Formats: sequence, structure tokens, C-alpha cells
Amino acid sequence: MQKRRRWLAIAFGLIVASMLSASAADAQSTAALDPAKLAEIRDQNAKCFACHSPEGLKSPPRQDMDLDKLKTMLHDPALYETSSHGRVECRTCHGVGATTFPHGANLKAQVSPCSECHAAKVFRIETQFDASVHAKTQKDKFTCWSCHDGHVYNIAAKIGAPHKIIAQDNAMCLDCHNSDLQFSKFAPVDKRRPLIGRIHEWLPNTQLHWAAVRCVECHTPAGRGFSHEILDKSKAEKNCVSCHSRDSSLRTRLYRHLLAEEEETLGFVNSVILPHAYIIGATRNPWIDGAVGAVAALLIVGMLVHTVLRLGAALWRRRGRRPA
Amino acid sequence: MKTRIYLLPLWLRLWHWSNAVLIVILTVTGASLHFSDTHLTMVSFARAAQIHDIAGMTIVALYVFFLTANAVTGNWWQYIPKPPGIMARSLRVMRYYAFGIMRGERDPHEPTPDSNFNDMQASAYFAIMYLVMPVVMITGLIFLFPLTAPDRLFGLDGLFPVAVVHYMAGAAVVLFAILHVYLGTLGHTATSQYKTMITGWHEGDLPSGRTSSRRAR
Repeated sequence: MQKRRRWLAIAFGLIVASMLSASAADAQSTAALDPAKLAEIRDQNAKCFACHSPEGLKSPPRQDMDLDKLKTMLHDPALYETSSHGRVECRTCHGVGATTFPHGANLKAQVSPCSECHAAKVFRIETQFDASVHAKTQKDKFTCWSCHDGHVYNIAAKIGAPHKIIAQDNAMCLDCHNSDLQFSKFAPVDKRRPLIGRIHEWLPNTQLHWAAVRCVECHTPAGRGFSHEILDKSKAEKNCVSCHSRDSSLRTRLYRHLLAEEEETLGFVNSVILPHAYIIGATRNPWIDGAVGAVAALLIVGMLVHTVLRLGAALWRRRGRRPA
Repeated sequence: MKTRIYLLPLWLRLWHWSNAVLIVILTVTGASLHFSDTHLTMVSFARAAQIHDIAGMTIVALYVFFLTANAVTGNWWQYIPKPPGIMARSLRVMRYYAFGIMRGERDPHEPTPDSNFNDMQASAYFAIMYLVMPVVMITGLIFLFPLTAPDRLFGLDGLFPVAVVHYMAGAAVVLFAILHVYLGTLGHTATSQYKTMITGWHEGDLPSGRTSSRRAR
């Protein structure tokens, strides 16, 4: 009994600690920072970008560096600054060992795991990921970084504009699924990369779908919000009405960050989607539908009344002609 | 004089019934797409999208045939409203449909090969076939190849006005078709005009004995 209590206490402690650390990390990335602190972060990171950037490679601050090796470790300071990690010091993940040069042979192996800051998220995502197709055959090769490049990645809520979210998120999938080289790094040896265009031939207006929604809208379980349980083609959503309906699943996925702005502009339901896409069945106007229905009803009633009058008049005439 | 004249050539009747079948298919599948999550859905979304695309392409091809055959045979002239006096003649037709038909009066317009339609029919068919149908088909083709739509229009997605116009013009065709089916029963008997549309032969009171559908030149 006492043992069970102790385990419960440990579990509770772990959950509270992970949530606190997660909220601390979130606060670091989104809240307004003290300008002095921000300047300090930028100064610190500038020291790293002095070498680890295209500019740094062009004019290295030191002569004793392996430029070929450096070439594989470059980052765009502007992209990093605007990414979700833009206000995090490089050394937060790469460790203090990265602040001295030479850095040491196994510095890369010392990079902090994502769970160090995002414990609650990782706790939630791990269960989803374990059920995903990526975990089935490539669990050992897959990390958060396989898809999310922390040097450029932005969370959807921060990006806001759906076309930018789509571009970022679909690029993560296509980096491997549209490249034989990248695909071979993760896939089993005997697995050939299926051609993206061919396996999506069944989908009408394929190109338009790829530009208007993310791969994960269909390749994650339906009926839930977003999940890291990536589904292969045998399990992916094929029910078009899941998105093409008034209660479109896009409301809780791609457009969930914009849903608060929904104002039913021009009387259209899901009008928040209209500036970005017209989705048959989802972005429709109940007033126009009602007007069409009303005209159809009037027409049918009018024809019925006319029919009854015609039949009545014909009967009346026939009776009048009948001999008394 | 009771006459029996050959009013509608085979090509016109074949086009008419093919067009009718396609409009029914496009209506059923179009409603299934637009009202995808309601009781108006008769065909699954994916199947409806497939059928709507094929039927849409077919109706465009048929329309091209209709235009060409009309131009070649001179039948296009039947659809042209012909002033002067068109308002008075149309009012006479409307009065007949509203009252005259109840009192057993004669139809003020007796079809002839040179003048198939009464003035109201000519105006309505002209509007539907030469104004509304092209709008439905052009917007439908843009819908079929959505990458041809402008990226953005009026601050909204470029497909938005195309979709709204396609839906409203399509609804106008459907409403007209419903009325057309009923007006078809207003011949000498309830089925006489349907028989004409099937056999091509019109039975009625004809002032002349013309038997050609080609217009007088």
C-alpha cells in the first residue's frame, strides 16, 4: 500500500514538474522578453552564427577551422530568429561545451533532448507517435528532429496564415517522401519509395489539395484534433465529407487558430476559410441555399395549384357539356 | 384543319433527351456535393465528384454539338426573341397559361416548322441556353481545372466567386428544368408535347402544310 502511494506521489511529482518546465519553455518562446535579456540572447547567439551561418563560412573568424565540416552545420540567423526557438540561446540545447572552441568531438551527442523543455508535450505526443506508422519500422531512427528542424520550425499558432503552415508542415513530409535519398535513410532496406503523385491519383484536384491542406489532415486519425499518430495510406482518411462539410474537421485542425475570428462574413458558414480556400460543402451560404429552396418550393406549390385548377376546370367543362 | 407535321429533327431530339439526362445527373451529384452532410446527399462525395466531372464534360461537348447543329441547320433562329409586339404576344401566352387553359381556349400559338416556340418560350430558352448555360459551363470548367482560377479575387480565394456563380446559375437551370417539365404538360393534351419530343411529329391545327423544320429563307 505504502509502495503504491510512493509511486503515485512520484508520478504526480513528475507530471507537475513536466508541466512547470513546459510552461516555462513556452513562456520563453512567446512572452515579451525584457529588452536587455533579449539583447543578451542575441549577443550570445551571434557568437555562434559568426561561424555557423553562410556569412560565417564566407569569412570565418578563425583560420584553424575545418570548413568542410562547418559547411554541414550552417543555419540562417534570420530564420532562426523568427522560429519558435528564436528567443532561446543556442547553448540551451547545445550545452555550455558549445561556447568554447574547439567544441569537443561528441558535442552533437550532448544536445539536450526536446523533453528537457517540452516534457508535457513529449509525454502526450509519445503515445501518439508509438501508434504511428513511423514508429512501426523506424522507431529507433526517428526523433522529433526527423521532422521538426528546431532551427527553423514554427508552431502553427505562431505562423497563423494557413498557406504558410501548409508550406512548412508539408515540406516536413515531402523532405523524405519526395526524395529517394532522404527516404532511404529511414525506410527498411527493401522498401522502395512510393511515388507521391501516383499514390494520390485517386484524390480529385490533387495539386489543389496539396496547396490547400496539410498531409496530416488526412494522414492522422479522423474525429480528433491534431495528432502525431501518422497513418499510412491503408488507414488514412478517405471520407471526403470529413473536411467537405459544415462541421468540417479543418475547424479543429488547420483553421483552429483562426476560428476565434469567425464572423460568418457575407452570411457564409466557415467564412474564416474563404480568404484562403473555397471548400465545397464547408464554405456555404445558408441564405443562398434557403433562397434557392424557397423558389423551388414556390415553383412546386404553384405547379400543384395550377394542376388542381386545370383538373377542376376540365371537370367543370365536361359536366357543363353533359346533357341534363 | 387537323394536321400532323414533322417538327423536331432526330438530332434535336437526341440532344434534348441526352441534355435532360445529364441535367438530372448533374443536379443529383451537384446537390450531393454542395449539401454533402445533409439528407440531400444521394451519392457519396467521392463518387459524386467523379460523376459530376464526367457529366459536366459531356454536357459541354453536347453544348458544342448543339451550337454547331443549330448553326448548320438554321435552328438557332427559333431561339431568337422577335420584336416588335413581343410583349403583347408574351402577355397573351401568359394569360392563356393562367386563365385561357382553364376555360378550354385554344393555345394562341400553334407551332410551325418556322416558329416552333411561342414568344415566351423563345425568350426563356434564349436566356437559359445562350446566357445561363454558358455561365454554368464556363464556371464548371474552371472548377474542373481549379488551378486556372485566379489566386485571389476581392480579398477572397479566387475560386470563391466562381463557385458561387456556378451554384446560383446551376440552381437557375434546375429551377427552369422543373418548370420546363410542367410546361411540357400544357399541350393539346397533357402528354402531346412529350410525344412530339419523342417522335418529332406534332399533331395540331396548322395553317399551312409545311413539313420541314428548316426555317424559311
